[in-house]
Amino acid sequence: MKKLIIIIIATTFAVLPQFLNAQVKTVKSGGKKEVLDRSVRPQPAPAPVINIGKYESFELDNGLKVFVVENHKIPRISYSLILDYNPVPEGNMAGMADFAGQMLRTGTTNLTKDELDEAIDFIGADLSTSSTGVYASALKKHNGQLLTLMADIVMNPSFKEEELAKLKTQAISGLKAQENDPDAISDRISKLLVYGAAHPYGESMTEKSVENISADHCRAFYQAFFKPNIGYMAIVGDITKAEAMDLMQKHFGNWKKSEVIQFMPETPALPASNIVAIVDRPGAVQTALRIGYPVDLKPGSEDAIKARVMNTVLGGGTFRLFNNLREDKAYTYGAYSQLNTDKLTGRFNVNTEIRNSVTDSAINEVFFEMRRIREELVPEDELSLVKNYLNGNFALSLERPQTIANFAISTARYGLDADYYANYMKNLAAVNAEDVRAVAGKYIKPENAYILAVGKAADIAPRLGQFTGGKAIRYYDFNGKEYDPNTRVKPAPEGMTAENVLKSYVNAIGGEKALNKIKDMTMMASTTMQGMTIGFDFYRKSPNKYMMKVGAGEMVFQKMVFDGTAAKLISPMGGENKVLEGNELEDMKVEAEMNQELHYAKLGVNLTLEGIEEADGAECYRVMLTYPSGKQSTQFFDVKSGLKVKELSEQGTATFGDYREVNGVKFPFAISQQMGPQTIDLKVLSIKINSKLKDDLFNIN
Amino acid sequence: MNTFRKAFLLVISLLAFILTSAQNRIDFTEYDLDNGLHVILHQDNSTPIVAVTISYHVGSKNEDPERTGFAHFFEHLMFEGSENIGRGEFDKIAMNAGASLNANTSFDRTFYYLLLPSNQLELGLWMESERLLHLRIDSIGVETQRSVVKEERKQSYDNRPYGTLMEKTFSAAFKEHPYRWMPIGSAESINNATLEEFMEFHSIFYVPNNATLSIAGDIDVESTKKLVQKYFGDIPRGTKEIYRPDILEPVKTAEVRDTVYDNIQLPAVVQAYHIPAKGTPDYYALSMLTTLLSDGESSRMTKSIVDKQQKAMFVGAFPFALEDPGLFLVFGIVNSGVAPDDFENAINEEIAKAQQEELSDREYEKLRNKVENDFISRNSTMAGIAESLSDYHMYFGDANLINTEIDRYMAVTKADIKRVANQYLTKENRVVLYYLPKQTL
Repeated sequence: MKKLIIIIIATTFAVLPQFLNAQVKTVKSGGKKEVLDRSVRPQPAPAPVINIGKYESFELDNGLKVFVVENHKIPRISYSLILDYNPVPEGNMAGMADFAGQMLRTGTTNLTKDELDEAIDFIGADLSTSSTGVYASALKKHNGQLLTLMADIVMNPSFKEEELAKLKTQAISGLKAQENDPDAISDRISKLLVYGAAHPYGESMTEKSVENISADHCRAFYQAFFKPNIGYMAIVGDITKAEAMDLMQKHFGNWKKSEVIQFMPETPALPASNIVAIVDRPGAVQTALRIGYPVDLKPGSEDAIKARVMNTVLGGGTFRLFNNLREDKAYTYGAYSQLNTDKLTGRFNVNTEIRNSVTDSAINEVFFEMRRIREELVPEDELSLVKNYLNGNFALSLERPQTIANFAISTARYGLDADYYANYMKNLAAVNAEDVRAVAGKYIKPENAYILAVGKAADIAPRLGQFTGGKAIRYYDFNGKEYDPNTRVKPAPEGMTAENVLKSYVNAIGGEKALNKIKDMTMMASTTMQGMTIGFDFYRKSPNKYMMKVGAGEMVFQKMVFDGTAAKLISPMGGENKVLEGNELEDMKVEAEMNQELHYAKLGVNLTLEGIEEADGAECYRVMLTYPSGKQSTQFFDVKSGLKVKELSEQGTATFGDYREVNGVKFPFAISQQMGPQTIDLKVLSIKINSKLKDDLFNIN
Repeated sequence: MNTFRKAFLLVISLLAFILTSAQNRIDFTEYDLDNGLHVILHQDNSTPIVAVTISYHVGSKNEDPERTGFAHFFEHLMFEGSENIGRGEFDKIAMNAGASLNANTSFDRTFYYLLLPSNQLELGLWMESERLLHLRIDSIGVETQRSVVKEERKQSYDNRPYGTLMEKTFSAAFKEHPYRWMPIGSAESINNATLEEFMEFHSIFYVPNNATLSIAGDIDVESTKKLVQKYFGDIPRGTKEIYRPDILEPVKTAEVRDTVYDNIQLPAVVQAYHIPAKGTPDYYALSMLTTLLSDGESSRMTKSIVDKQQKAMFVGAFPFALEDPGLFLVFGIVNSGVAPDDFENAINEEIAKAQQEELSDREYEKLRNKVENDFISRNSTMAGIAESLSDYHMYFGDANLINTEIDRYMAVTKADIKRVANQYLTKENRVVLYYLPKQTL
């Protein structure tokens, strides 16, 4: 969330990277008479010698490997501890390692969270923890205290259940927000496709998996993997090697080593041919597109630098994919590719967001660019632009001493040649167009990709059939569960009709007799909608008077009144005030009818039984209702209980549960209604029947 | 014995402080060219890179209220090319030289930077002098950037959750002063602007006597001076009057409250209090007050409202320091199930506490340690040093504040912090905005 705040503040400064490709014109000579000929572009001075900064290293008896980069410009020291273990599949506890990492910062056996927070802030330090390590930094004068705190966190975390509970609450809110975020959905499903559910890289946290995690699980994880013998400590700043040796021995010398099991997941295979997957977002106006597959490309391997050049030409910045899809076709605001190296399994991935109507054209253009880089040699000026750009990135990154520490750790972790980074620029300069085509042939696979489209299935599915090679499109939900959209609805048994379904529903809630005894009804409900407690009061009077009030405390936000013939929407706090007309009025007439289920024929509502479909784990009859206004809704009635459990309409999904009996009639006491991106959970507080409501309650004036 | 220990600790911390200042000193040379361009050079040969930055003393506050967004629009036009640099080539030349570049526009100034390998210093000076001397502004460039800026506005403000928050806050807080609009300006005024107006704007504000050229990195001072003279020396001084608003925002007499409905999941609350300009003594006290309230997990609002009461996902107090008097902002996003007024009450309780109780010695020491850490850590990159030197010169006429501004923070006493909390964080001096999810009922 802090990031969000920073973005909000930063936006005010309107920082904008200027990467706008446009028509290139040749440089004209300046027309003015000037002493200096400004049309002459200055030539670079002789290239400076680029020294990769020096580092020192040593190892403690417990196996902790330490790297020291001295930099005395600022009296500050930072410590970055990384634990090098292969991630483990977490199954029904996905997300557990993340929680364990966060919990390290929430208290030790010596300090409560409050004490720890105060001690870190008191010395003005930064200290953060994750599932793979701990970062800490402070001014040199607080160095002793900083290391005491860091070592305490690393060696004596307390894993208190109440601290985990706070983190879980936050994570679940985060997941709720993600359900409406196409980027987050694409991330979850594309890694599932590329790596598979059994691979730790393919897993994502779900509400269920979060619930399954306990503090004991987190502690067990910590005990298995937070060991010095798989640790790399990078120390950067105002410190010498001799000082670092003493301090590491003093603070981390007692950290006990023990064997760590390195899990080896099965290497995911390339799909034999392209596979298309969809996550359906019925309201989406854009498609989030990912095209990717696993690659076997290890950090520091012989191909790594060539592959980096090749991917940059293709889409690692404002290059080919960007120029084609944005500058030329205007399908999108941006289009990029990544080719990641990894010790276990790397990944190629293209990402872009496009209009629904060009989803197929965009995929064709991505494949066009993927084929082009495999087949054609990159023109020399394009290659040299990319190499210069990468060379500059590398040189400029050396300003940060952390870069040197990262180089040192990567060299040790991945077993690179000692001079791998020293030779980096030389090897980059040596990459030629043939190399680029060769690595493209090896790592760019336009025939073996997972194509994931997160968008409106009804619009985009027909456009995607051409990419599957005759296979069916796969459908996934947010949690990665695959379903078959064609077998979702099964035919209803012979002889069953929509009228029968409605009849058994009426019987299930108490029967026609009991329903007809209702002369008026008062229902109070409330929800905590995005932070506010909001009350919903509903009043109905037979045959068709209706009033609904929405408000908080004494405030009334909106009121809807129907007096049997006319309806009005009133917004006392500002907003819309209007008399309902046309279709809106027609819909209101149906809505206001007491026990509308008994009167559909009279109201002109048409019913169609569409079949049997599973809804929230139960078999349901699916009935389509068409109202006089032309609007439609789909209702789901539990085959066993007969009760209505779900309704799909224009606004989104509504569910009904917790049926309770009042005056011999069952009413749902838990109603949830989707409204655009949010879901409102309505809790019924009370229902009163026949309390003799007065007619003037429904007066529209 | 105890007293002795305290004295000892004091001496130790003083020593450490002196050492720090000595080690961390940023040396620089500064002078003016005949045309008024102010030049600042900082030499550091440890890495072969150089930051070439130029800052123009024009931000959104210098704009005509009918033509908001001009300063920021210029930031875009400045990448369009010049007499000797074709359209779209500016980026390519930079990339080919292995350089990175960017720019930003604030209420008070516009800042451009190029970070280059040090053997490309001359190229960087040529590029910056080109667009100062003869920027190419034509209708193609203006039209292209018009649509880009409109997309930028949609993406960063209109289409982003809470994206209009600063805009709404500033327009509610300022009625007279030009801080009432954002640097991005209004889409309408950019639409209505003519090519002539853009050229006029350039000729007033994009002149050497309104700019600071700040260079930091692997340079030799004497030869750099010669190169600066070569590329910037013959650029003519501006002749038009540079508009600097002299508008005093009237003192508020009553609290302003408003509600904004936005496409968001969780409500947010903003309080904005008017405060003095940056660089004033009270500004430093207010800045330390924000540290007390929300910097770090143990800060008062974070600990009490986020961690203990769990009323908010986030809460922060920020000193939004500007050249003219600015705002002290308190902003938070409430947790699901919490009423915004409940959250605002929690904020008010913490403010009242800061107004009524003096902070403890330990808490005061914590603030000073945090401020010191932030100050010292700030100048770790060449681009950062060049920008700081430039800002200190432009706002205060004293680039050496890069070394000495910490003293102004350290001069703030516990009593000062309590006093400014009482003086500025009053009900009548504030604007309160509630951001609520759009009602879709």
